[in-house]
Amino acid sequence: MRRNAAVLVVYGVLLAAWAVAGSLPSVPAFVLPSPLAILHRVARDPGTLVFHSLVTLQEVVFGFLLAVLLGIPLGVLIVWSRLLERLFYPALVALQAIPKVALAPILVIWFGFGPTSKVTLAFVTALFPIVIDTVVGMSQTPPEMIHLMRSLGASGLQIFTKVRLIAAAPQVFGGFKIGITLAMVGAVVGEFIAANSGLGYYLLIANNAFDAPLLFGIVILLSLLSVALFYLIELIEMLVLPRPLRRSAWKIQPGAGA
Amino acid sequence: MKLAPAGPVRSPASRKAFVELEDLSMVYEAAPDSRLLALDRVGCAIAESEFCTIVGPSGCGKSTLLMLTAGLYRPSAGRVVIDGTPVTGPWHGVGMVFQRDLLLEWRTALDNVLLPIEVKKLPRPAFEDRARSLLRLVGLAGFENAFPEQLSVGMRQRVAICRALIHDPRLLLMDEPFAAVDLLTREKLGLDLLRLTDEHPKTVLFVTHSVEEAVLLSDEVLVFGPRPGRILRRLENDLPKPRSLASRSDVRFHRLVDEIRAVFQAAGVLS
Repeated sequence: MRRNAAVLVVYGVLLAAWAVAGSLPSVPAFVLPSPLAILHRVARDPGTLVFHSLVTLQEVVFGFLLAVLLGIPLGVLIVWSRLLERLFYPALVALQAIPKVALAPILVIWFGFGPTSKVTLAFVTALFPIVIDTVVGMSQTPPEMIHLMRSLGASGLQIFTKVRLIAAAPQVFGGFKIGITLAMVGAVVGEFIAANSGLGYYLLIANNAFDAPLLFGIVILLSLLSVALFYLIELIEMLVLPRPLRRSAWKIQPGAGA
Repeated sequence: MKLAPAGPVRSPASRKAFVELEDLSMVYEAAPDSRLLALDRVGCAIAESEFCTIVGPSGCGKSTLLMLTAGLYRPSAGRVVIDGTPVTGPWHGVGMVFQRDLLLEWRTALDNVLLPIEVKKLPRPAFEDRARSLLRLVGLAGFENAFPEQLSVGMRQRVAICRALIHDPRLLLMDEPFAAVDLLTREKLGLDLLRLTDEHPKTVLFVTHSVEEAVLLSDEVLVFGPRPGRILRRLENDLPKPRSLASRSDVRFHRLVDEIRAVFQAAGVLS
């Protein structure tokens, strides 16, 4: 409780400092609008903001789900087979090395101005951490555990479903959390390049109109939405994972592996 | 399927060889031009219900020997025969304990013990009582629903031992099971294990670094030498039973410990 109060105080002080700085006569309103001015501007037309938010959210969620749906099997395949690892891993790293902004125009050419190109960009950005964390998580199972399971006559599928996948879950959720915030970045970058709706598009409109309060309002909204999605994943993690897994799957034991 | 513990009687008829290692060699191909001979023509027979400890320095292929016995690795030469049948894949009647307890953190102690039953697709209700009684035998009554993270290192390893015994395997393979446990708990765990294997007779192959542990627990000691791993000496252990902490002050205990140390000294392991 006391810690929460401390957090509130810190944010309150920062907000107050901002309000004071924004109202100084030497600071023009288009450089730093005060929090109140931003609130006023946002309250004037919340409907449009909600509309564009929903567009962006939809792109983010679809892109992210696609990354989960493809990323986990891809990670599993990479762990499963040396050949597939050699096949997919370099391609994945190469894909990750491309700045996603550079990819956006190509995706617009391929998928048009609509949401599909943004969903694809969100998917591509979110894919990497999900695959990597699946690979890392699945590789954590100690070889002796696999020996133990095999000595009991366990099939590869049993070892996978009863041990490796569950043990990997905390790590995979870590990948989800990074993935969903990156999906947001991907979608907004896509909307920047070419779109007729979405918060990225609306941001450009506000920019062209020199509407600083709206510009700031959209940036804050984007950040709030990302935070909300992040904690939504964390909430799902809390609901889905059994209690001891909410931190780390394989506890380091004293003397182990010595 | 035997749920009730069988009597601690050891009939002379059961003294026939149960595990036979016939000229086992194991070569690891580290690189095309570098081969590591981990085991060099290891041969011995272990009688049914015998507690056999394997003692030796690091890197003497003791763990490899256990893997070969379990049928998890294929030997480069020679073969393992269990109960008269050559081993070609994972042998069905084996329980394994490693240095790490390998408990699944998301399962309770009881569910961890029952893992082999699930893997083998045996009816769980039929084994639940057995799991509870095993946990009681190792002093973990009341901890059935505890998660591993709530247990101490020693308690966790006890759960792992129960897991190795739940499906009533005829052969128990233990790879330095108490190496991560503090010294006092270690001797207690060892004696607990002896009590368990007295109530549920098993053939045990127990790998350890500790000469004292090897003597305290065994009917027979295989002294291993390093690189390539081979049997330096095989010793019958005449330390009287039942063993207790007092067995450590027995003259025969010290004589055996000294004898094993002398073997290591002669092989240049201790110097």
